[in-house]
Amino acid sequence: MRASHFAFFMNVPTLLCLGLVLAYPVAYAAYLSMHRVGLAQLRRGEFPFSGWENYGRVLEDPLFWVAIKNTLIFTAITVSSEIVLAVLIALLINQTSVWTSRLTRFLILLPYAIPPIANGLIWSFLYSFQFGFLNRILFTAGLISDPVNWAGNPNTALYAVAVPYVWRTLPFAIILVHAALQGIPRELYEQASIDGANAWHRFWHITLPMLRQIIAIILILRTAFAFAVFEEILAITQGGPGDATWVAAWYSYKITFAPPNNFGMGSASAYILALMIGAIALVYMRFVYRRVTL
Amino acid sequence: MRTRSPGGRLLLHIANLVVIFFILLPVAAVVIGSIQSEKSLQADTRRLLPPEPTLDNFTVILSKGEHKGRIFEQITYLPDNIKSFYAAFANSAIVSISVTFLTLLFGSLSAYTIARQRFRWTLFLLQANIVARFVPVIVLMIPLYVVMRSFGQLNSLSGVIIAETGFLLPYAILILAPYFDTIPADLEEAARIDGCTRLGAFIKIVLPLATPALAACGVIIFIISWHELLIPLILNARPDFMTLPVVIASLVGDVHVFFNLMMAICLLALAPTVILVALLQKYIVEGLAAGAVKG
Repeated sequence: MRASHFAFFMNVPTLLCLGLVLAYPVAYAAYLSMHRVGLAQLRRGEFPFSGWENYGRVLEDPLFWVAIKNTLIFTAITVSSEIVLAVLIALLINQTSVWTSRLTRFLILLPYAIPPIANGLIWSFLYSFQFGFLNRILFTAGLISDPVNWAGNPNTALYAVAVPYVWRTLPFAIILVHAALQGIPRELYEQASIDGANAWHRFWHITLPMLRQIIAIILILRTAFAFAVFEEILAITQGGPGDATWVAAWYSYKITFAPPNNFGMGSASAYILALMIGAIALVYMRFVYRRVTL
Repeated sequence: MRTRSPGGRLLLHIANLVVIFFILLPVAAVVIGSIQSEKSLQADTRRLLPPEPTLDNFTVILSKGEHKGRIFEQITYLPDNIKSFYAAFANSAIVSISVTFLTLLFGSLSAYTIARQRFRWTLFLLQANIVARFVPVIVLMIPLYVVMRSFGQLNSLSGVIIAETGFLLPYAILILAPYFDTIPADLEEAARIDGCTRLGAFIKIVLPLATPALAACGVIIFIISWHELLIPLILNARPDFMTLPVVIASLVGDVHVFFNLMMAICLLALAPTVILVALLQKYIVEGLAAGAVKG
C-alpha cells in the first residue's frame, strides 16, 4: 500500500468522528443561529430563516453584556492568579530536600481527580450562609462572630466562584511549570551563584525567562477554558445573586434550555463565545504550539 | 541542592502547610459533611465536627433508599435520582470505558500517521486538532441536541459515547503524536523489510513501545469522560440513562435535599477518579505535559 493511502485509511475513523461531532455541529450551530428555532419549530421540523435577527437580539440584550463582562472579569481573576500560584507552588514542590514539599507534591494532583460538578457542590456546602463548612471553621478558629454570606453577596459572588475554579484547574498549570523547571540547566544557577547572584536575582534573570514559553501556553489554554466556565456556576450560584455570576456559557445554556427555549438565540450567543475562543486558539496554534511542527 | 538557613526552611514548611490546607479544605468538607445528619448540621451551625458520626447517608444511597437508617427515619422525601445510584454508576463506567477505548483506538491510528507521514493534509489535520481542542462543549451542545434528536439518539448511552469520543479525540491525538514522534522509525523499517505490512508494523512494533503514552492518554481521557457533565446532561434526561455527574447536578436547587446527602453522593462519585489519580499519578503528569507542549 502506498504511504499516502495508508495514512488516509488510518485516519478514516478520526475524520468521521471529527466530522460528525465537531465540524458538522459547529456548522449546524451557525445554521441554527441564522434561523428561528424554538420548541414549536423543533416539533414541526421547520426553521424559518431569520438572518442576523438572533445575533441582533443577543447583542441588544443587556444581560448578555453583563454575562460577557462577568466572563472577562472571571477569566482575568482566575488566569492571573493561576499563573502566579502555579509558578510559586511549582518552585515550592521543586524543593526535594524539604519533606513538606514532597508531601505537597504528592497531593498536588488531587483536585484534578474531582468532578467539576462535585467540586461545585462541595464548595456550595463550604460557602453556605447558614450551614457552611467555611463559616464553621472560622467560628471554631474564633476569626468571625457572625456568619459570612460568601456566595450570596453580589459584590463578592464572582470571586467566590473563582476560588473553586482555580482550586480545580491549578494542578494542570503547576504540573506544566514543574515540568519546565526540570528542563532548566543546573549550570546556569551554579554560574550565577559564583557570580554572586542572590535567590531573587536567580529567579528573575534565569528561572522566569526560562519559563516564559510555558507561561504563555498556560495563559492561552486557561484563558480559553475559563471563557467557557459552567459547572461551578451551575452548582454554586446558578448565575445569582441577581445577575452577579451570569457568564457567557451560562447565558447560552439558560437561553436555550430554560423556557422559552430559544435555540436560535442560544446558538447565536454560543457562536459569539466560540469566535472569541477561536481567536485565542489561532494565536495558540500560530505562536505557541509552533514547536510541534513535527 | 543549595543549603538553606533554618529560617528559610521554616518559611518553606509554612508555605507548604498553607498549600496543603488549601488542597485539603474541600476534601475535609466533603468527608465531614457526608458523615453527619441533617439534624446535627442544623442543630449547631457553628460546630465543625459532628457529635455522632454516621454512615446512614451512604447506606440510604447504596440501598436505593430502602434502608433509611436512623437519620432518615422521619424523612419521607428522597429524590428518585439518589435511588438510581447504581444505574448512574454503571452508566458512567460504560460511557467512560467505551470513550477511553474508542479514543485510544482512533487517536493512536491518527497520531501515528501525523507523526510519521508528513503530508500537507496530515499537518493540516494536526492544526485542526489543535483548534478543535479549544471548542467549548457549550457551542456543540445545541446542535448536538438537535442532531441527536433527529437521529433518535436522545436518552441513549451510545449517543453520549459518540459525542464524547469526537469531543475528546483531538486532545488524545495531541497527547499521543509527540510520543510517536520520539519512537525511532528504524524498527518499523526493519520489520517492513522482513515482509511486515505498514499496519502490521504499527500494531506489532510501535504500539507495544507506546504503552506508557497510551496509559497516560487513556487515564486522562477516562477522567475527563467520568467528569463530563454537559453532554450527558443535555442528551439524556431520563433517569435510566443519567451518568453520575448528571445525577449530582439534578440535586442542585432541590430544596429538600440536604448537604449531608449531597456530600455523600459526591464522595462516592469522586472516589474512582481519586483512586486512579493516586495510582497512576506518574502517567497523568507525563500526559498533561505532552498534551500541551513540545514535539
